[in-house]
Amino acid sequence: MRQLIKTTYAGLVYLFLYLPLVVMAVYSFNASKYSLSWKGFTLKWYGKLLTNTTLIDAAIRSLTIAVISATIACILGTLVAFMLHQYRFQGRRAIFGSLFIMMMSPDIVIGISLLVLFLATGLTLGFWTLLMGHVTLCVPFVAATVYSRFKGFDTHVIEAAKDLGASEYQVFHQIVLPMAMPGLIAGWLLSFTLSLDDVIISFFTTGPTYEVLPLRIYSMVRLGIKPDVNALSVVMIVITVAAVLLSRRLIKDKK
Amino acid sequence: MKKTLLAIALVILLATPALAGSGELFLYIWSEYIPDEVVENFTRETGIKVHLSTYDSNEAMYAKIKLAGKGYDLIVPSSDYVGLMKNENLLLPLDKAKLSNFANLAPQFINQPFDPENTYSLPYMWGSTSIAVNTGTLGTTAVNNIADLWKPEMDGRLLLPNDPREAFSLALKLLGYSLNETDPAHLEEAYLKLKELMPRVRVFDSDSPKQALLSGEVSVGVVWNGEAYIANEENPDIQYVYPPEGFSLWMDSLCIPKGAHNIEEAHTFLNYLLRPDVAAIISSEMGYSTPNAKALELIPEDVRANPIVYPADADIQRGEFQNYLGDATKLYDEYWVKLKTDN
Repeated sequence: MRQLIKTTYAGLVYLFLYLPLVVMAVYSFNASKYSLSWKGFTLKWYGKLLTNTTLIDAAIRSLTIAVISATIACILGTLVAFMLHQYRFQGRRAIFGSLFIMMMSPDIVIGISLLVLFLATGLTLGFWTLLMGHVTLCVPFVAATVYSRFKGFDTHVIEAAKDLGASEYQVFHQIVLPMAMPGLIAGWLLSFTLSLDDVIISFFTTGPTYEVLPLRIYSMVRLGIKPDVNALSVVMIVITVAAVLLSRRLIKDKK
Repeated sequence: MKKTLLAIALVILLATPALAGSGELFLYIWSEYIPDEVVENFTRETGIKVHLSTYDSNEAMYAKIKLAGKGYDLIVPSSDYVGLMKNENLLLPLDKAKLSNFANLAPQFINQPFDPENTYSLPYMWGSTSIAVNTGTLGTTAVNNIADLWKPEMDGRLLLPNDPREAFSLALKLLGYSLNETDPAHLEEAYLKLKELMPRVRVFDSDSPKQALLSGEVSVGVVWNGEAYIANEENPDIQYVYPPEGFSLWMDSLCIPKGAHNIEEAHTFLNYLLRPDVAAIISSEMGYSTPNAKALELIPEDVRANPIVYPADADIQRGEFQNYLGDATKLYDEYWVKLKTDN
């Protein structure tokens, strides 16, 4: 009986999470343009999507910026987390606090303050400013996930390594990094998603030459979202799921 | 490792913006608001490459232009924002000598109060905000004018735009005032009228009101005609009414913001959009009304005969465009907050 309740509960949670995606996937094959009632099966939205180069370009730009900013944020975030965990120094608490402030700040505040900064420094808005904006958005999240991973460490291992003559670099590379890996992967995926979804910070920090997908979709309110966006979302979900499965396979093979 | 570096280098090369100023045009517009083929044909004819970037509201576009100030050559603000941006010196005057096709525009869409003489703006598309009624649930006689929205039978069945100006337009027109009213006494009257209407309202939605109409959540809604057009296609019972008291017209215009680099290219593009064949393609593709009189003959009959897209001339006469109201806007906003919180 208890097992049944557990299973039902878990099933409901998954249903709640994934039903919208399923509905969207179903509607991407719906012949009706405004996807309110089922008017038969069609593949025409996928065909439309292939010809909608502006949408595909924006999607590619979004994926590019998400991969690059997640990677940079992972490197910076891990260094921050390691520093906070390993060393005691002046201003440590301030850095801690500032990370949490960054996480709690509304996007619009971060977006506008970054824009003002970029304009003051005379940078041209585009790929680079957008990248800086997204890295700024992601670093605190990576730092937090990796830091909490370090918290569960047995620090004696590090001390033992040092006693055996390991250098700082060796300690980091051969002990800290492998132990932090699950936190790092989680941080990377979180950053990737944050970057891919972000509308507000992107709006303020990008320029006319580098438009990302969420902005494109958001700006369709005037005319209503077209079904080829559903088709594109399904394609993106398939790509993401495939990437996650592939990476799991690779990690398994390594072991 | 080498491969990764190469990939990064490639991305950097691709992402570095080309220098503006020669044979390029940066257009800032709503998504899907201009057909791809129109842009492609323009590039084919002139060799000018068009870069599109998009915004989701006038407010967002205005913020970006005001803050960033450069990088965009053409924007598409609605009428009240043309007024606002003109007042704040954010727009450049248009060079009429370069717009030989200007004469194609119908007289009722030029020289509007928000930009007399069209010094700064060219009409791109227009439409109305009026009443869509589900005659299936309410019958054909229930709603014929604005006053009918106050009827007790509309209780909990009405949708209003989530926008103070559009909501006030209803009450102001009902009282016989202009929808660009700034007189505090008249606005208070309108506020008191709207207060009586609040119990009737079930939903405030300006983004996609067709959903609530089509799902039957509401039976009558004040929506813009693009939404009514789609709702009516899905469900012919949903009719669109141009009330005798008058209604609100909207117009999106093309303007050149201050800080534009490619002014020559912008004018070439504007003149191209004023061509009858181009305007006709845009209107038929989008299902919106073109202000281009010469284009009308080229538009497919089924679009031109649809009163939701092209109302009769007698109806258009009762419509009024929104202008920017300066300080009075605050009053609208204050009353709006009161209306939405007092219930």
